[in-house]
Amino acid sequence: MTIGSEKNIHPALSDQDWGYATISQTPTSVNPNPKKWFYFYLAAPAIILLAAITIYPFFWLIYMSFHKVGFGAVSDVFVGLKNFSRLFSDAKFIAGWGLLLKYSAICLTIQVLVGVALAVVLNNSRYEKPLITMFLMPMMVSPVVAGLLFYYLYNGTFGWYHWIFQSLGILGETSILGNSSTALYGIILVDVWQWTPLITLITLAGLKRVPQDQLEANMVDGAGSISNFFHISLPNIYPFLLIAILLRFMDNFRFIDAILVLTGGGPGNSTRLLPVYLFDVSFQFFKLGRGAAIAISLLIVTIILGMILVRVLEDPARKSTLAGDSDS
Amino acid sequence: MVAVSFNNVWKDYGDSVAVRDLNMNIKDGEFVSLLGPSGCGKSTSLRMLAGLEHITSGEIVFGDKVVNQLPPKDRDIAMVFENYALYPHKTIFDNIANPLKRAKISPSEITRRVNEAAKLLEIDHLLERRPQELSGGQKQRTAIGRAIVRQPQVYLFDEPIAHLDAKLRARMRSELKHMQFNLGVTTIYVTHDQLEALTMADRIAVMNDGVLQQFGTPQEIYENPVNSWVATFVGEPQMSLMEMSMTGEKGDAALDFFGNIISLDAASSSRLTKAGIADLLVGVRPDKASVSLQETPGAIKAEVYSRQLLGADVLVEVAIGKTRVRAKADTSFMGNVGEPCYLNFSSENLYYFNAEDGKVVER
Ligand SMILES: Nc1ncnc2c1ncn2[C@@H]1O[C@H](COP(=O)(O)OP(=O)(O)OP(=O)(O)O)[C@@H](O)[C@H]1O
Ligand SMILES: [Mg+2]
Repeated sequence: MTIGSEKNIHPALSDQDWGYATISQTPTSVNPNPKKWFYFYLAAPAIILLAAITIYPFFWLIYMSFHKVGFGAVSDVFVGLKNFSRLFSDAKFIAGWGLLLKYSAICLTIQVLVGVALAVVLNNSRYEKPLITMFLMPMMVSPVVAGLLFYYLYNGTFGWYHWIFQSLGILGETSILGNSSTALYGIILVDVWQWTPLITLITLAGLKRVPQDQLEANMVDGAGSISNFFHISLPNIYPFLLIAILLRFMDNFRFIDAILVLTGGGPGNSTRLLPVYLFDVSFQFFKLGRGAAIAISLLIVTIILGMILVRVLEDPARKSTLAGDSDS
Repeated sequence: MVAVSFNNVWKDYGDSVAVRDLNMNIKDGEFVSLLGPSGCGKSTSLRMLAGLEHITSGEIVFGDKVVNQLPPKDRDIAMVFENYALYPHKTIFDNIANPLKRAKISPSEITRRVNEAAKLLEIDHLLERRPQELSGGQKQRTAIGRAIVRQPQVYLFDEPIAHLDAKLRARMRSELKHMQFNLGVTTIYVTHDQLEALTMADRIAVMNDGVLQQFGTPQEIYENPVNSWVATFVGEPQMSLMEMSMTGEKGDAALDFFGNIISLDAASSSRLTKAGIADLLVGVRPDKASVSLQETPGAIKAEVYSRQLLGADVLVEVAIGKTRVRAKADTSFMGNVGEPCYLNFSSENLYYFNAEDGKVVER
């Protein structure tokens, strides 16, 4: 019996089973006429707002991807899947994907390794609190400002980083951004500088929640601190870490601000990651239809990769495999 | 397979003292039970042995080596934790196998030993599961399995079978004891169940409030408790204590119990006159006291306070003024609550303590 199914009958008359009737009727007497529409009205403003800011533009994006979008007096022309099919023969599109994946993989690898290592070193140390406060600062800087900051640090004549790299013999005369073989790494460094602290913070929060008794049991079982980290801490912080990775990787797929400031995609096309190419197509050449198609391809890949990550997160069997449990 | 000693060990947590000047020498291969009420410092002592708890002062010695600074992994111990401390991300098999993997033992040997331990503990059908899919008792058996799967220098058990049902507990008691005896591994076994301590241990260490009260064989502890606290803590049903005072001169000394005069046997008489203590706490175990509805010579008049069936016999609690005394009677005892009755015991079976500090009167 569901709530309100017998709302027109007095509870005492409604059912043979008195106890049952009483229990099921109580909420009805509190709210005698629960109407589905009432809840909808309550939620409607939020739903409409959500639709306006996310769903409408989303459908508009899909619409654009099937059209050659015109401006002003020129009207849109339906072109079917042509915007999409052209992408497969677009060398810059394919190169953009390659660069984006390379960039994202290198960023995430460095950020996770350095971020987790920093968190382990800092955890419960004397410097934890002051350093965490410092770590928050890069994240508070807007990416454009971060780009400008590194623009000066990389500068070929007075940039401090440039000077360091040169002294170390890594760089020649040209600035890191001026050389098509190093420019991508210059951009990676910005992201690493700005977002490694996020991984550190999230890992630290995870490390605080690693149960002490599991660590103790493992020590009694004969483990040192390294084994303790891989067998106990890592499996315990692993869900936190995966969420951090998910956040960073989705962010990387939209990353554009610092690149625009630092290189604008060059030299050559060496830093023209897919989002930058998307920006160029849409807002330099105003091919909004093709831009929309690129955006949809980005969206689809992001969703698929995100779903894979979430699946891994939820699967306990994978969890222990990653924890190196099958090490025997 | 090593002797273990606590030498003047203290443990403070801030300003509260958990363990106070602990001195204890545990022999090689001995089975020692740490017995005491909740919060008396049993787990703390065990954790100090394991190297999981820093020692405020004093020394812990394994064999002839001071191990104060030695990390747990280098102490060669196996421990069953009070709260199991299983690894939720590992299967039961991997939980039990963990110490063997840490010791880099070959996979086939690991499989053999884990299966053997699991069979003994009746959890061999659960090996593929994870800890959160187990009942409390199954978790506890997994924790035992993780400890007994290898043969360390010292076993540390912190209430390892507290969450098992009575039948399984009885079986585990005998399995653990059997295994310990065969392997000859020095074992320290924390419990607050005195039956467990009395039945399993070679020696029992009774603790209260962070202080070691007495360390001796189960028989010593039961027959010669060093103070009234140990006397009442050990033994089930509990010993009763009565406040009495000495009367009479040397030769015909007797005890005065609220006007009842209790005559003394020769040994008790000389012991008490030698000690010369005026106010005593006198203990009697329920099975050494008798109660009847008929008056008998030398019996103390009392009143039935409660009557509990124990199975084979009845535990009768009687009141003499404000003092309650427990006595065992056979099931034919038919006294109702409030009915007058007569309590009888013989002075040979009494325990004498100084009323001031509770210490036993010297023999
Ligand atoms: N980390 C801690 N910080 C402060 N006090 C503690 C800490 N651990 C234990 N104590 C205190 O030390 C005393 C002894 O604790 P312990 O865990 O050894 O008791 P126990 O004898 O094992 O009790 P139980 O039978 O309930 O397990 C208790 O009073 C407890 O409150
Ligand atoms: Mg305890």
